Amino acid sequence: MRLRKIGVAVVACAIVVGAATAAATAQSRRTSGNTLTVAGVIALTGSSDFEGQNQVGGIYPALYAINKAGGVNGDQLVFKGVDTRGDPADALPAVQQMLATTSNLIAVAGPDTSSAPTIVPVLNSAKVPMMAVAGESVYDRNTAPYFWRLFPPDAANGTAMSLWAKRKGLIKVAAVFGTDSGSQGDKPGVIASMKSLHLKLVANVDLTPAQPTYLSSVRKVVASHPQVIMTESDATTAGTFFGELKQLGGLVPIIGTEATFTSPWLTAVKGALGSDFLKNYTGMITAPSKVTPAVRAYQQAVTAVHGKEPSPWHSYLSNPFSITYYDGMVAVALAMVATHSNKPSVFNTAIPSVTNPGKGKAVVYTFAQGKAALHAGKHIQYIGATGLIDFDKWHNSFGNQEAVMSTSSLKPVSEGVVTAKQIEAVPIKGA
Amino acid sequence: MLSTLVSAIGFGVVLASIIAVAAMGFTIQFGLTNVLNLSFGAVMTVAAFSAYLANRHGVGGWFGLAVGGVAGAVFTLLLGRGVFKQYARRGAQLFEMMMVTLGLSLIINYAIQAISHNNIYQFVVLPSSLIQLGSILITRTQLIIVFISVGVLVALQLLLQLTKIGKALRAMAADPDLARACGIRTGQIVVLTWLLSGFLCGLAGVVYIVNAQSVGYTTGQLFLPLVVAAAILGGAGSPIGAFVASLIMGVVTEVVAAFGNASYSTVAGFGILVLVLLSRPGTVRGGQAGHTQLTL
Amino acid sequence: MTAWSYYIATLTVYFGVNVLSALSLNLQFGFAGVVNFGYIIFQAVGAYIAAVVVLGPSSGTFQQYVFGARLPFGVALLLATAAGAVLSLLIGLFSLRNIRRDYQAAILLIISLIGTQVVQGYVPLFNGSNGITGVPRPLSALPLNLQQYQWAYAGWVLLAAGIVYAVVTWLSRSAWGRALRATRDQEDAAAAIGLNVTALRLQVFVIGGAVAGLSGGLLVEYIGAWSPDAWGYAETFVIFTALFVGGIGNYRGAVLGVLLVPIIFLEVPRFLPQVGYPGLMDSVEWIAIGAAWMLCLYFRPQGIVPERRNRARRGEAAPHAAPVRERVGAA
Repeated sequence: MRLRKIGVAVVACAIVVGAATAAATAQSRRTSGNTLTVAGVIALTGSSDFEGQNQVGGIYPALYAINKAGGVNGDQLVFKGVDTRGDPADALPAVQQMLATTSNLIAVAGPDTSSAPTIVPVLNSAKVPMMAVAGESVYDRNTAPYFWRLFPPDAANGTAMSLWAKRKGLIKVAAVFGTDSGSQGDKPGVIASMKSLHLKLVANVDLTPAQPTYLSSVRKVVASHPQVIMTESDATTAGTFFGELKQLGGLVPIIGTEATFTSPWLTAVKGALGSDFLKNYTGMITAPSKVTPAVRAYQQAVTAVHGKEPSPWHSYLSNPFSITYYDGMVAVALAMVATHSNKPSVFNTAIPSVTNPGKGKAVVYTFAQGKAALHAGKHIQYIGATGLIDFDKWHNSFGNQEAVMSTSSLKPVSEGVVTAKQIEAVPIKGA
Repeated sequence: MLSTLVSAIGFGVVLASIIAVAAMGFTIQFGLTNVLNLSFGAVMTVAAFSAYLANRHGVGGWFGLAVGGVAGAVFTLLLGRGVFKQYARRGAQLFEMMMVTLGLSLIINYAIQAISHNNIYQFVVLPSSLIQLGSILITRTQLIIVFISVGVLVALQLLLQLTKIGKALRAMAADPDLARACGIRTGQIVVLTWLLSGFLCGLAGVVYIVNAQSVGYTTGQLFLPLVVAAAILGGAGSPIGAFVASLIMGVVTEVVAAFGNASYSTVAGFGILVLVLLSRPGTVRGGQAGHTQLTL
Repeated sequence: MTAWSYYIATLTVYFGVNVLSALSLNLQFGFAGVVNFGYIIFQAVGAYIAAVVVLGPSSGTFQQYVFGARLPFGVALLLATAAGAVLSLLIGLFSLRNIRRDYQAAILLIISLIGTQVVQGYVPLFNGSNGITGVPRPLSALPLNLQQYQWAYAGWVLLAAGIVYAVVTWLSRSAWGRALRATRDQEDAAAAIGLNVTALRLQVFVIGGAVAGLSGGLLVEYIGAWSPDAWGYAETFVIFTALFVGGIGNYRGAVLGVLLVPIIFLEVPRFLPQVGYPGLMDSVEWIAIGAAWMLCLYFRPQGIVPERRNRARRGEAAPHAAPVRERVGAA
């Protein structure tokens, strides 16, 4: 009896697998020659799912802008999410299955920091260009030809924060970071650069997210008499912590990582600190605070697809991560147009040629402009919404970082710039 | 040092109030039906979202409590009659029923995750002013929450001690067969149990998000061990026990957080639950009559 | 075709690892009646220990962890197995008492939650939420390309699973196994004839924990990284569902269950066209696991309590026989 039940179950599963595979192959056959796929290898669910939302928030506008301008070499682009769930054990089969079943894959947005060590070799040997967001400093000297990184390594943001604190004469630092993976990923860069720049770490506090109170941590920080607090955590935690810090009279200048300059965090902390927020908070971001033609085009694209964007959609108008994803896709698409090819093995090496500065190049700010210029036979330099893109020999391009304050409507106001050269000049041990 | 302690106790009372409402609901449900309902947290989340949606559609701040309570009551009744009872009919015992609630919690939690797009939504009831009581600094909202939980306790005690229904509830919790033999309408009492405990569950969910000022799919989950610990520590079926146990759990958690490492306050809460489960008299196989059978 | 080959090789490795998990749980649950809802923590400790002993000393800032001894991978596997055994000994000593089964299950589940909190809260232990990466591959000096290596590793994992399968079935058929079944079905009689019930249960728990540790070590040496997101408490339910589907107490069933649930049932949704927003399908997968769990419980509510022979047991009556105490209102 049981054997029969099991037999039925096996047959049923086989039928389902067969049907699904048939559906998938039929789908890709039908679409070949018509659409090209961009795969997003990122955490779409789980504790790091905000990374997936940041990515989707920037990719959708990019694909919209590219498709609206006629697509790439006559083909339209579509997005396919590949959920890493924030851990490499889930990422590996997901990516390998995607590679096995996706024809017309032209690029990957990702992989994320948590799965990069496992996934980068896999994608590289499959010859798929990656616009990676891996934050490990080991990729500063990357040798995989298909790996490209527009994001600064996690350590760069921390170094910029330390440089900024030193510039302002703030030497005694309290580090307040959430125990979630995003915050913990940014923390080592902050600590290591502080050591290199001889700042003093007077308090080091890790916050478990979503607790009703952080009284003990607040008291530790207050007792250490810091001159500045460097921080990253999720929005709810930040609101609770800084609200209690203010109540206990311990509010000092706050320097937040790039991840703090996102709408939920700013809203929560602004709500907790009231008017003191505008005076005391500085965020260190990578995207320029000034609105350039590229930024305007990006924001128009976000508005156009706001129905598809994760909610609240308007937070992606100034989300530095989403903006970087957008630029990465546009750069890939322009490289494809420049080489008249949809094959990664052909266009991969052309990516720097459409972005890096050079003599006689026409500067363009959108995909449409770039496509038109390329068709007119010109060489182009795409200056993106993140600013100048200049890939070095290790396929990294990260520009200056900017210290910004926030207005009451959560817009950035520039306080000063920390250049890439200044950041690179700071030695980081053990990265 | 003393002011840290007093302040921690103050925060502990606030945390305890939030736990207490849920724990009182859980203990009534557990005490009577004997179902170790691990989907209680998921129902809290559902009620919390109901209040959030109501808030978005214009139902003002504190009325969300009523919305959440009703949502919790209705949903719990559906689960109790539609799910738990069906499994009991097919022969499930205490342990199997707990497994059923686990599976249910998976389904509900991930359904909420799917529908909510993994988002966290801000939920602000009213901008809250600070109140100073000695060295205790809490917000007005938190003080109201304390009063709510005390009010719930008083209401429950009045119900259980002074009304006929209350007597019937207590009788059934103690010995269901005897209660039936005495002519108590046990089926109706079970329905009432689902409604009452569900209402408290929903209320607790809304209270939690009013304090946290945000709602997401994980709202009920990590909160649940503290609630279960308080309910079992206080003795299944006893709201006063649950209230006192919540106070103990809340204060211990906050004092640990104040003097030790805040990251470990949740571990302290979990640890207390483990110790409670290991040490309660009802934990030996084959305990008292009222605690070994499912009453559904 | 090569792309498929990589994918299938990875699935084969996962299959082997999951078989080890299922064997471990089957030992603990099917033969000793211990509901180990905290299973995943034993796999996690094995993975972490294997990772940190293979890596060199911690750089201190960017990836903090204990040990860091740069030992060969074989030793790392042995240590992973030992770690699983030690952890289960410690936990078993206080949680294997004569406790109401639903409490015992809840205790073990809570312990795995505590484990997650501790690892995330105390970063110097295993690098907190970000976990450990960069674990080198065993025998990478061999002249194999990536594809050959993956298949070789898959073969190695299957071999390990096969050996453990043989050992476990042999144990179950031995006198020791018979004693175990006696303690499971007829606890009081077994105690009366002199079997040390607690000691037997503890032995099973520790052996199961050792196998779990081994599975973690094998997994981390393949993937090269390990973080708390990889061992959420819900992973245990996937293996339990596999056991329910295949049949409790039955080792062949356990293997079949692993094939059906984590491998086929959880991989098929990847092939379906993506519906809704990115990430929706993954939530739906977990809902499906919960639904499968509830269905198994519905159709065999007595089947999850393994092979009960004797009907009349004090306190927990066998469900076929005793009528359910159901209160149907008169009105």
